[in-house]
Amino acid sequence: MKRAFLGELEEVVLLTVAALQEAAYCAAITQTIDQQMNRSISFPTVHTTLQRLEEKGFVASQMGGATTDRGGRQKRLFTVTVAGQRALIESRQVRSQLWEQIPTPVLQLWGA
Amino acid sequence: MGRLTDENGRPARPPRWADWLLSRFCPAGLEDELQGDLLEMYAYWVKTVGLPAARWRYALAVLRLIRPFSGSTSSQSRDDSQPFSLHPTMLRNYLKIAFRTLSRNKLYTALNIGGLTFGVTCFLLIGLYLFDELTFDQQHRNANRIYRVVEYKSVKGEATTVAAGSYKLAAESRKTIAEIENTTRLARIGRANLINPENPVNFQETVTNADENFLHIFDFPLVLGDKHTALKEPNSIAITEELAMRLFGTIQVLGKTLRFSHMDAPLKVTGVLKNHPPNSSFDFNLLVSEASYRNTDYYRQTVSSDWASTDFSVYFLLKPNTSSETVSAKLTKLVLANFKPEPGTMLSFSLQALKDIHLHSEGIIDGARNSNVEAIAQGSPFYLRIFSFIALFVLCIAGINYMNLATARSSNRLKEIGVRKSIGAERSNLAYQFLVEALLMTTFSLLVALVLVNVMLPFFNQFVKKQLTLGFSTDYRIWLMTLAATLLIGVLSGSYPALLLSGFKPALLLKGMQFNQRGSLSVRKALVVFQFTISTVLIIGTIVLYWQVRFLNTANLGFNKDLLVVIDVNTGTARDRFETIKADMAKIPSVKNVSVTSRVPGEWKTYRTVKINTQGKAHEPQIAYLIGADKDFLKTFEIKLLAGRNFVNPTDSTSVLLNETAARRLHITEPSDQLVEIPAMSGGSGFQPVSPDNTPFKARVIGIVKDFHFQSLKTRVEPLVLAYNQNPIHVIDYYTARIDAQGISQTLEKLKAVLLEADPNEPFEYHFLDQQLALFYQEDARRQTLLIGVALATIFIACLGLFGLATYSAEQRIKEVGVRKVLGASPVNLAALLSGDFLKLVLMANGIAFPIAWWAADQWLQGYAYHIALEWWMFALAGLLALLIALLTVSYQAIKAALVNPVKSLRSD
Repeated sequence: MKRAFLGELEEVVLLTVAALQEAAYCAAITQTIDQQMNRSISFPTVHTTLQRLEEKGFVASQMGGATTDRGGRQKRLFTVTVAGQRALIESRQVRSQLWEQIPTPVLQLWGA
Repeated sequence: MGRLTDENGRPARPPRWADWLLSRFCPAGLEDELQGDLLEMYAYWVKTVGLPAARWRYALAVLRLIRPFSGSTSSQSRDDSQPFSLHPTMLRNYLKIAFRTLSRNKLYTALNIGGLTFGVTCFLLIGLYLFDELTFDQQHRNANRIYRVVEYKSVKGEATTVAAGSYKLAAESRKTIAEIENTTRLARIGRANLINPENPVNFQETVTNADENFLHIFDFPLVLGDKHTALKEPNSIAITEELAMRLFGTIQVLGKTLRFSHMDAPLKVTGVLKNHPPNSSFDFNLLVSEASYRNTDYYRQTVSSDWASTDFSVYFLLKPNTSSETVSAKLTKLVLANFKPEPGTMLSFSLQALKDIHLHSEGIIDGARNSNVEAIAQGSPFYLRIFSFIALFVLCIAGINYMNLATARSSNRLKEIGVRKSIGAERSNLAYQFLVEALLMTTFSLLVALVLVNVMLPFFNQFVKKQLTLGFSTDYRIWLMTLAATLLIGVLSGSYPALLLSGFKPALLLKGMQFNQRGSLSVRKALVVFQFTISTVLIIGTIVLYWQVRFLNTANLGFNKDLLVVIDVNTGTARDRFETIKADMAKIPSVKNVSVTSRVPGEWKTYRTVKINTQGKAHEPQIAYLIGADKDFLKTFEIKLLAGRNFVNPTDSTSVLLNETAARRLHITEPSDQLVEIPAMSGGSGFQPVSPDNTPFKARVIGIVKDFHFQSLKTRVEPLVLAYNQNPIHVIDYYTARIDAQGISQTLEKLKAVLLEADPNEPFEYHFLDQQLALFYQEDARRQTLLIGVALATIFIACLGLFGLATYSAEQRIKEVGVRKVLGASPVNLAALLSGDFLKLVLMANGIAFPIAWWAADQWLQGYAYHIALEWWMFALAGLLALLIALLTVSYQAIKAALVNPVKSLRSD
């Protein structure tokens, strides 16, 4: 079976979902990415990405957690599914494999 | 992260309209979370990027989130609810289905596109024409502040309205009336020979004098020279590029010298004007500075102190936001304060806006011009009205026909609609489907029409005498209008089938419901009757017009108009030495007769009119036209002398001939040297005495000639006085020669040689009289072409409508036809049965059309003093034509239906 492709943006969003754990909903994710990665990202983009991740089965969502800050409205809270976990691990493995292939002297040269 | 919200309560609310949009168009099921999330984001943005940016980001986010822009595009959205009708995927589907339907029914598509293309083409052509007419004289920056002075004068009930004023009026009004910013004077004083001394060829040009303000008020761009100084100095002349090319072969002519035959001093070229755009009322090709004349005695003594005359076209530039009425009133007051008109004379002035000059100058004489200068060409509000009517009519009918064909055809599509509905299409989906089909069709028609318009423009231009173009340089307003009209037609004509067909119940449709609505059928019948009524009226109109124009061109005018060459007298020498010139011309073997006259029958310039009365009688003086003519006039024009004798020699300079009408008005039955008095003659505005000391011209009546049509056949024969060529009223202006039909060009060469021998400066200007006479009826000939075009158009469109109706009816009655056939009806019977219904409609249309056409044609013919009688066969012919065309259209469907094997039509039930 062809592996569902995980785009760079999707990976970032998925990682953020994982990092935020219980508090992973669209606004929070956008703000985290905005602050921690210093990367300007628009809310609708995150929203669409989350929808796409859900279609691909990497995240699951449920409603909950209405607070007064948001006019008493419910949030859609996201959690990483097993498939999502596997995709993240796989992507990390691929990366570390490639990192390991870079000769150490070169890495030292980079100052990494 | 909700903690990030401002703790001091709510910051300014996000844009309300964005909130509304979000609540209205939020994707289903996501309302709560999105509104909540966005509120949080808004608070966060206010904190990080400030209020204005936050509002901006909020609005942007809302716009991206609402339908139909939101959602993942990789696959269908996760819920199975109804897809939004305007979803991109649906739009693509509509388009695909529309293409398939259109390409499957090629005949209908062709019919529809044909009709719509036709409508749009007419609309575009006429739009271009109207746009051009309505934007006349708009090239001037201050166009809406420029006004023309119009003088209204009434002398003992005789009213004249002339667009002109005096020198003082223009000069003083600027000083005394505060609302006037600037004024300018223009005078077209006549025609004269213009010569480039380096290359002496005579060009007879209209002399237009203008003062130095002229180029300030109007924006006639100068290619070379300075508009501030070009007309300031005496003996300056500004010429157009076209004239410069003609005189010098180049436009680099600044500072060169020109000579005008009527002026002593040479003129210096101080400016080269750009040629006029086609939609300009002004057509001068040269401007002589008014200062050139200021040193003449006539100017110093008469003109410069004159308040009363109408020697100048006067234009005002008003200050912004001033009313022209107030200025008119002040102007009238100013003139009356300086000049007392004779008792019984009413005098007032008004201002006519520059933009009205082209279309709204009916009844206003274009004054301040010599009688041999042609007046400003007028636009025709008649054409404007006719054309706008046709444009709207054709476009409407084309749209209605589309509607008709679409609904008629829909019975074929009822099953399709049923299936679509039962698998979940909503009414809106179907409505959009039909709208997209209609829009596709109109768009396609528009493209075809654009090509068609460009093909037809040269012919159309020739017809309307314009230089219209349609291309990338066309004014954007035309494109906007076209686009709007196309969209409107598409939406309107698509909406009827869209709303009607999408409303049926799917179960009924699939069970085979017959789509039968008596109401819509009778509407369609009424439409066919309406269309054919108009078609028939137009056919009758065309026939009547054709015969009337034919009659006008072939009627017996009372003189023989064929093979007459009329040669203009343009110089003094050519006038003074007429005896020799005439004798020399008569010596040419191919010239039969030569005559000199002041005007010729069928004249294109103004006739002089006079007041005439028999001496010692108490009758009111009669107004008559006057032509100065020599003794060969009657012979040359082949006019019959009824009683008395012709002119013989110069002793007859105090003799006159009368035409029958004039004799009748003066109660003269036999010419017996009765004395008549001519006290007054027409001048620039109204009548003026014949001689300065106010003594009338006295003459003896020596003969009476048979009435001949010296004017167009639109008017009755008016009283006419033929005076001798040496008369105090009107000098000779033409040589007229009757020539042989063979070797016309050689004869013309010889005539030219004679004239040039007498005066080398005389430009040989000639006309053939029959051609000039035909010009009288040119307008009628143009109307005839127009009417034929419109008649063809309406017939074409009416046939499209009829064809649609016939198709529909044939399909509705297919079972009935089957049963009839089984019972033994012959195909001929059936075809007659099916066609008969429609022929009844056409007959009904004829019945309505005949009285309307009779009334309209009669009204039109009343405009001609001499016209044909309306005859029954004209109506019969038109009716028959309409019937025949309708029969041809309908019979195709009728015969097709009658030939179908009844097994086919009956087996499905």
